[in-house]
Amino acid sequence: MAAQVKVLLVDDDPDFVEATKAILETKPFEVIVAYDGKEGLEKARGEKPDVIILDVMMPPPDGYAVCSELKKDPKCRAIPILLLTAVMQALPHTLYTIDMGLRTEADDYIDKPVEPAELVRRVESLIAG
Amino acid sequence: MRIAFKISMVSILVVDDEKIIRDGCTRILGKEGWAVQTANSGEDGLRLLQEEPFDLLLLDLKMPGLSGMEVLQRVRDLRPELLVVIITGYATVESAVEAMKAGAYDFVSKPFLPDQLRIVVRRALEKKALQREADLLRQERAKGLREIAGEKSKIKTIIHCMADGVLVTDHEGRVVLHNPALVRMLKMEISPPLGHALDDGLENDCWRGFVRRIRETTEGSTVSQEVVVGDLTLMAHIAPVRSEEGETLGSVTVLRDISMLKAIDRMKSDFVAMVSHELRAPLSSVEQQLSVILAGILGEVNNRQQEMLGRAKERTHALLALINDLLDLSKIEAGFVVQHKEPVQITEVLEKVVELLKPQAAAKNIALTLSLPEILPQVMMDRGNMEEVFINLVSNGIKYTPERGSVELFVRVQGSHLCAEVADNGMGISSEDLPRIFDKFYRVKNAQTRKITGTGLGLPIVKRIVEAHLGTVEVESQPGNGSKFRVYLPLEPSAKGGP
Repeated sequence: MAAQVKVLLVDDDPDFVEATKAILETKPFEVIVAYDGKEGLEKARGEKPDVIILDVMMPPPDGYAVCSELKKDPKCRAIPILLLTAVMQALPHTLYTIDMGLRTEADDYIDKPVEPAELVRRVESLIAG
Repeated sequence: MRIAFKISMVSILVVDDEKIIRDGCTRILGKEGWAVQTANSGEDGLRLLQEEPFDLLLLDLKMPGLSGMEVLQRVRDLRPELLVVIITGYATVESAVEAMKAGAYDFVSKPFLPDQLRIVVRRALEKKALQREADLLRQERAKGLREIAGEKSKIKTIIHCMADGVLVTDHEGRVVLHNPALVRMLKMEISPPLGHALDDGLENDCWRGFVRRIRETTEGSTVSQEVVVGDLTLMAHIAPVRSEEGETLGSVTVLRDISMLKAIDRMKSDFVAMVSHELRAPLSSVEQQLSVILAGILGEVNNRQQEMLGRAKERTHALLALINDLLDLSKIEAGFVVQHKEPVQITEVLEKVVELLKPQAAAKNIALTLSLPEILPQVMMDRGNMEEVFINLVSNGIKYTPERGSVELFVRVQGSHLCAEVADNGMGISSEDLPRIFDKFYRVKNAQTRKITGTGLGLPIVKRIVEAHLGTVEVESQPGNGSKFRVYLPLEPSAKGGP
């Protein structure tokens, strides 16, 4: 990996952002943060990140809206998006979000809160993919 | 008969102009315990008859003044039920016959032996007792009929005045009885005509399903289902009616307006949803922060810290699980389900669920299998909801089955329904717990389940979703023998449409 990997993290909860940023920075990632959907769209277009981690539960535009907007944008379509869904995989009886993840064009999804190692693994595989 | 004589004292009137006959009768009949009065002329006799209710009249035909025949005719008018025995001499047998034609019951010829008199009188009294008995029976029958008629109108009045809607249909779904509340609740412009099938002219989808249900509720027990008609939410309880031989005669449906309850329920669900959302975000962050510290990202964590933080994380995790379930349930209760109903091949749903839960099963060495018939009809459903139903049932099966057990899924068409079964060979459910497992927050508590985590909301969610699809869930289980959960979903009626 020659150039440093740029990760855009979009989430409206500062505490969650701080913790997640710390996880990502254990790797040679440059982490850019956006605190709402609008800012997320701007930074996605301006910063050209290698991967976007996008929370679904935000005030409008929410993660789904941001995701579909970016996937429509020819310049951003190629950027892999990891959706942070609100329901835990550990309780598999709620397929609701999984289904939502599949309905959107996101490249992957992971339930919030995330295990540090798992988050890193997902992000790395998206970049490699 | 004897008893009847003794209940009230028998009273006899003797009308004869001959004193010796009057005295003889008084003596002979008095010995029998009967009360005897006498009159020496027809006029006197008639006067006494008007004063007292005699049981029997002994009447001499040949008397000076008013003759016996004349007295007899008057008596027939005056007291038609009174038994009359004629006393007559040999020479007047013919007139005795005539008297009997005129309504006398019997006669005795003068002179008579005491036994002759006793026999004739006794027979007459027996006849009288029989008559009274018959009268009594007639009266009782008339009273009974009146009571039945009264009962009928009473029931009719009660059904008519009930706030709940009542609908009775016969075995072919034709209307037999209904009340004004039903017509009002279903917003019908005219009362459904008796003797006709019910679904004619009704547009509402939900209602059609309900009518079909009424026709199909011929086996099994009472079915309860919500029906939405305009702005009203109704709870319909449909009970099949069977003859003693088990033959289906029809069904009785009781409709209750639960719109108010639903409104309150919705408010409660909204509240729960709001609170849960507010709780979830911060809890999620707390857990994330704990994860970061535990992973040693912010510096080394010693063993004791690791242990305590680990426990803290477990607690937040459990709380989040509870919140997720609450949200799911409130979402379903608020009616967010079944919004995208489409024809779906249930095979696709089940295959996805099995795929998703394979790792969970594999972790416990549980064989998770899916058996599908070659052809299955499509069923109208919300795909996501239905996936959730089977994820719940299958993951429960895995949770409550010990290592190296099995969880099997079967699908078949059963009558007018598609039946999907999730069968495990796990610990099973006791008969005390069985009726409550679909209650919110109910969890089976025993030594075996202690280590199994859950929120007690999975099965209520399953039930809600299935019912929102006009289906039913049933469970069959015995402790130690595994559990079978069956989900029944109604198949679309054929294009031809039923009768």
